[in-house]
Amino acid sequence: MDKSIYVAMTGAKAAMQSQAVIAHNLANATSTGFRAVRQSLETAPVEGAGFPTRFNTLTLPESWDNSPGEYVMTGEVLDIAVLGDGWIAVQDSQGEEAYTRAGDLHLSATGVLETAEGQVVLGTGGPVTLPPFNQLTIKGDGRISIVPQGQPPNTVAEVNVIKLVNPPAEELSRYEDGLFRLRSGDIAAVDPNVRIASGQLEGSNVNTTALLVEMIAAARNYELHVRAMQNAEENDQSATRLMRMNG
Amino acid sequence: MQSLWIAKTGLDAQQTRMSVVSNNLANVNTNGFKRGRAVFEDLLYQNIQQAGSSTSQNTIDPTGLTLGTGVRIVATEKQFTQGGRVDTGDSTDLMIEGRGFFQILLPDGNLAFTRDGSFNVDAQGRLVTSNGYEVQPAIIVPDGVTALRVSRDGQVEANIAGQAQPSVLGSIQLADFINPGGLTPRGQNLLLESFASGPPQVGQPGLNGLGELSQGALETSNVNVVEELVNMIETQRAYEMNSKSIAISDQMLQYLNNNL
Repeated sequence: MDKSIYVAMTGAKAAMQSQAVIAHNLANATSTGFRAVRQSLETAPVEGAGFPTRFNTLTLPESWDNSPGEYVMTGEVLDIAVLGDGWIAVQDSQGEEAYTRAGDLHLSATGVLETAEGQVVLGTGGPVTLPPFNQLTIKGDGRISIVPQGQPPNTVAEVNVIKLVNPPAEELSRYEDGLFRLRSGDIAAVDPNVRIASGQLEGSNVNTTALLVEMIAAARNYELHVRAMQNAEENDQSATRLMRMNG
Repeated sequence: MQSLWIAKTGLDAQQTRMSVVSNNLANVNTNGFKRGRAVFEDLLYQNIQQAGSSTSQNTIDPTGLTLGTGVRIVATEKQFTQGGRVDTGDSTDLMIEGRGFFQILLPDGNLAFTRDGSFNVDAQGRLVTSNGYEVQPAIIVPDGVTALRVSRDGQVEANIAGQAQPSVLGSIQLADFINPGGLTPRGQNLLLESFASGPPQVGQPGLNGLGELSQGALETSNVNVVEELVNMIETQRAYEMNSKSIAISDQMLQYLNNNL
């Protein structure tokens, strides 16, 4: 069999995988704070006998798009959006620190501030727990102030500060649960320059128009590789026919 | 085949969002209705290659290779922003200005909570909802009442024919929750306490952060029609793109089957 069929196969496989990545991004076109997945491919020379003319396609590790999503006004105090670069620190299911851009928060029955998925939001002084309050405000730098229950409106108490971090994007990776963490396993330091806005949510940063084009490109790319496989098969058939002893 | 299933999760999510939008629009004239919102999150990522696994004897893979598997609906949460005000002039119509819920006794003996204050007086003189469920604490309106007054802090007074002094019939108390978004909608404009909402904290209107009452007015639905229409368009287009993604993946597989 002509070895080129295997080269074409790696190309077709990568195009099919791109389609899965595009489908994932499209499916999350309306997910709060979603960061689009970027796929990158690379050529890898095939080693071994023969001329070094063959290159397989290799899928490179996932990276993600760091551009901001669109901001939507909701008017809810507990909806927060990170303006520009930055992340909200939350506690994952293992109790470790992780980062997210999804700021649709709510209070649990015990007054703990949680994300929509139920991860506890971290403050600079540990998990954010709020006592009963009459009124709640979240400031631009993550400070949470309340008017405690039963107190006059001019009694303002500062409860906690939401931990906002801004590590360099290239040090962050997305993990299986969709949360981001530092690849080094360290905990990011608080960045006082990160700004949030209460009453807004950041949507997904998926560019649907570009995705539609990428989807078509990946499909055509796939067809080319299949075509190459077809050619390899035809070549092989011709070779077999030539070799046949039809005297 | 994977991309077909990923796109399917997108279709499911947009379908749910459409149901939420439709329900909001259908309730644009429902008293005390709070709009819903569908919340989406990305699904688990499949680990194809673990980050930190060795790529050679001395090097390790810095990021690993993960593939997303689509989207899921985390919650359809209610948004408890204040609705508008409609003056009805009816003395048994009440509106809460601020936080809190009226407490309603269900026929099965449990308590339900509502923002809809369009009450009536039934044949036995009890203050009831439009469905005939009794308001708690019970208010009994005697015969011969000429005027009914509800103060901003919930005290109910009545002028009774032949009596100079108005008599106090009782007082309406409101319940509040740490996480109102966690209440379970029951239909009929009623909400039920849940594990997520926490227990009700009952108090006098106007105290401890509870809203005050306003007599002769009703709270309208907090659905914003324009916002819902924009949501509807966005949902429809996202749905179309996800179905496009299915169609293209299908074409690719078809091409493979026809040509090899």
